[in-house]
Amino acid sequence: MTVGDFFSLTRPSLFLVSGGHRWSVEEYLERAARVAAQLGASAAPVINLCEQRAAFLVAYMAALLSARTTLLPSSRAAEAVAAVAAEYPGSVVVDDALVAAATADRGSELSAAPLATEVNADFVAMIGFTSGSTGVPTRHAKRWGTVAASTVHNAAALRAAIPPELSGKQPWVVGTVPSQHMYGMELTVLLPLLDGMGIHAGRPLLPEEVAAALAEVPEPRVLVSTPAHLRAIVASGVVLPKTAVVACATAPLDAELAAQVEAATGGILVEMFGSTETCILAHRRTAQERWWTPYTGVELHPESEHTRVSAPWFLQDERLLDLVERDDRGRFSLLGRSADLVDVAGKRASLGDLNQRLLRIPGVVDGVIFQPQQSRGLVRRLAAMVVAPGLTTEQLREALAPAMDPVFLPRPLLLVPSLPRTAAGKLPRATLEEALADLLSAGAAKRGVADV
Amino acid sequence: MSQPQSAAEAEMASLIVEALNLEGVEPTEIDPAAPLFGKGLGLDSIDALELALEISKRYGVQMKSDDENNREIFASLASLTAHVMATRPA
Repeated sequence: MTVGDFFSLTRPSLFLVSGGHRWSVEEYLERAARVAAQLGASAAPVINLCEQRAAFLVAYMAALLSARTTLLPSSRAAEAVAAVAAEYPGSVVVDDALVAAATADRGSELSAAPLATEVNADFVAMIGFTSGSTGVPTRHAKRWGTVAASTVHNAAALRAAIPPELSGKQPWVVGTVPSQHMYGMELTVLLPLLDGMGIHAGRPLLPEEVAAALAEVPEPRVLVSTPAHLRAIVASGVVLPKTAVVACATAPLDAELAAQVEAATGGILVEMFGSTETCILAHRRTAQERWWTPYTGVELHPESEHTRVSAPWFLQDERLLDLVERDDRGRFSLLGRSADLVDVAGKRASLGDLNQRLLRIPGVVDGVIFQPQQSRGLVRRLAAMVVAPGLTTEQLREALAPAMDPVFLPRPLLLVPSLPRTAAGKLPRATLEEALADLLSAGAAKRGVADV
Repeated sequence: MSQPQSAAEAEMASLIVEALNLEGVEPTEIDPAAPLFGKGLGLDSIDALELALEISKRYGVQMKSDDENNREIFASLASLTAHVMATRPA
């Protein structure tokens, strides 16, 4: 498949919109060609650090046009970028500033964008790095053939939710998620490139901004978001333009919130299921369905501690850490996952590992990190109770911070005289929850805060 | 603590602790000049969203997620309080 083929099937006239910017496909490709020219002749990988969605898309296409693999560090933190750069000597960092500089003078001579550039199925389209709980980056390399096939299924699942009267029109994607992670790559980068959907260049996060961005694109609209962002939108009561499809992933969504989102948008919420290892592989209409429908060709093989997944577009079987139950129609539901695994805002870590890190801090006598069932706020955070006479919570927090991704930093982080261990030394879940609830209501009473 | 909190900073400190489930942190112990994100309290982007929602509810101030000055605005308790006080409706 060539780069020209991406757009030839759908022939969208407009590719990208954000307020004052309206780019045709030609303009987008021309900008990408300018960035590609700037990168020089080598085929060394591009480290794409662009924060702006338009710049990210331009840099990604520039990499494709020069047959370079795109590297996506787990964060823009200097250490994370340096670690990736050290692993790929010669790699080039492309950020918003480089894209802006390379495309500032668009009057200058430029040979036409090389649309004939062949993108082979075996080309490594991207390598994503995840930090995990340990801070040691894990590589996730994706072949073009794999992500292109996934994208065909993603597009079909989302387009199926568009009402018939709008199905002939070009859908427009508005994303609240960054482009850098696998979910963002799939639905805000590859979907527009390969399925002819238009893309809004913004990354609106606050409810009013999401409403404004949606209003800037024509129908049918596709909102790509997460449970945390959707919860904020529903809680704000903001009035949204009619949005045909809302895609949601990164963390489990409950049916009640899904129904509220459908009421607020007048559309259909399609929850997408996948992982960094597998990409999206199943979907469900969460407001009405508990069972996930896997994409055609996906097969799940339950094993003792995990689920093995095969698909025609995988090079090899992948492993899901979730345990699944299948019905006779080939659908599946999640039975939970190994008790050790926690998920906070879409990032996963081993509880055992996090607890080891806590217990290794000098001065910590005993302690436990766990994920309470009930939690206020947009995501379910971890909580910790720690016995550490002589340490303050501030000192504890400072000692924990370098050891884990901030998303896993426990809050509340409470100092206690002892943990509610049983005679056998165990910490039953229910006892932990109860002890935490008692501590929190005592704290709220002390501060004169109503317990809401 | 390097400098005492002003009354407005003390109010913002309580909002931060309540909105972000930071029980265990005494609002009065948040150093107005210390970084809120990254180091310091170790807050992340979901926290920024929760804070922006709570600030809009409490002060009627709309933060913007694509504001180029967000890094400076959310840098510390002092800078966040100063921004909210300067932009709150009369």
